[in-house]
Amino acid sequence: MTMNTSVHISLEQAKLLVEYLESDQQEKADELIAEIQSPINTELFAEIGKLTRQLHDSLNNFQVDSRLNDLATADIPDAKERLNYVISRTEEAANKTMDAVESIFPVVDTIQQQISAVNPLWKKLMHNELDIGEFKALCRDIDTLLKTTEKETSHMHSLMTDVLMAQDFQDLTGQVIRKVIDLVHEVEESLINMLTVFGLSSEEAKTVSLPKVGENLVEGPIVNTESRTDVVADQDDVDDLLSSLGF
Amino acid sequence: MKVLVVDDFSTMRRIIKNLLRDIGFTNISEADDGSTALPMLKDGDFEFVVTDWNMPGMQGIDLLKAIRADAKLSHIPVLMVTAEAKKEQIVMAAQAGVNGYIVKPFTAATLNTKLDKIFQRLG
Repeated sequence: MTMNTSVHISLEQAKLLVEYLESDQQEKADELIAEIQSPINTELFAEIGKLTRQLHDSLNNFQVDSRLNDLATADIPDAKERLNYVISRTEEAANKTMDAVESIFPVVDTIQQQISAVNPLWKKLMHNELDIGEFKALCRDIDTLLKTTEKETSHMHSLMTDVLMAQDFQDLTGQVIRKVIDLVHEVEESLINMLTVFGLSSEEAKTVSLPKVGENLVEGPIVNTESRTDVVADQDDVDDLLSSLGF
Repeated sequence: MKVLVVDDFSTMRRIIKNLLRDIGFTNISEADDGSTALPMLKDGDFEFVVTDWNMPGMQGIDLLKAIRADAKLSHIPVLMVTAEAKKEQIVMAAQAGVNGYIVKPFTAATLNTKLDKIFQRLG
């Protein structure tokens, strides 16, 4: 901020001033001085006015950013709770699904065993090589197989409905996560706003660094493999890398 | 064959256990991080370890190093199943003596292939 502080007084004005003082016209002399100084005063007042306005705006911005306070004390704890909800819902869904699948496995195995038991005699029957004793045995095995299959398939049907219903977490957690994304976005805006108030451009901030990786290198799942060169994209990449190391 | 599955998420342990059971491993124990796994390994006669990398407490890579550093355990094959996908980490695991490295998400077929490879090599 530069300000012109030099006062230009003309010879005429100076002579006039001396004349006023000599003739004891103090009031007129004062008026003349005020007149001479007036351009600086105007400029000074304008500058003070500008600073005042800036200060006022900054203070107002701080008031807007009292939203930051709400974010920190209410919204972020709420978001943590929401994300914990996502963890527990997805865990519950995974367990429900695995409960059902784990009960289906032995059922399928039983049916498969009974089919294998029936198969040799069945093949003989198809080739007209079955005697009456074997035929009776085959009938008994098929009877067992039919009964088992009938009973177990309806059991499996209800278990598969459980698997289906366990997928409802996707909708619920999706909604919750979307809310948290909105919050993150809002926090981002507020922080950028604050940086602006403090005169730091967000562009400058952008160049600072990549997201931080946790201790011990661990980062968890990579969500943007395409834009990274330091990570593998899939299992084939892992295998290639390992074989290049002589694995 | 006695197998130890180490992962901090119980659902992932359950998935791996199911897949292992499906291909004939029936004697499977679980641990939720390296520091619970290591004493189990020292006490038991485990012949195979499947471990995650990122766990609270002792990380999988440190468990692997501890296994390789212990004369009684160093022969145990270790398969890493993890979401950690940085090349640097894979190299690090290889240097630490990992026997296989699977990145999550993975398929049953991938697990089977890697297991076959590991046991083929061991003969």
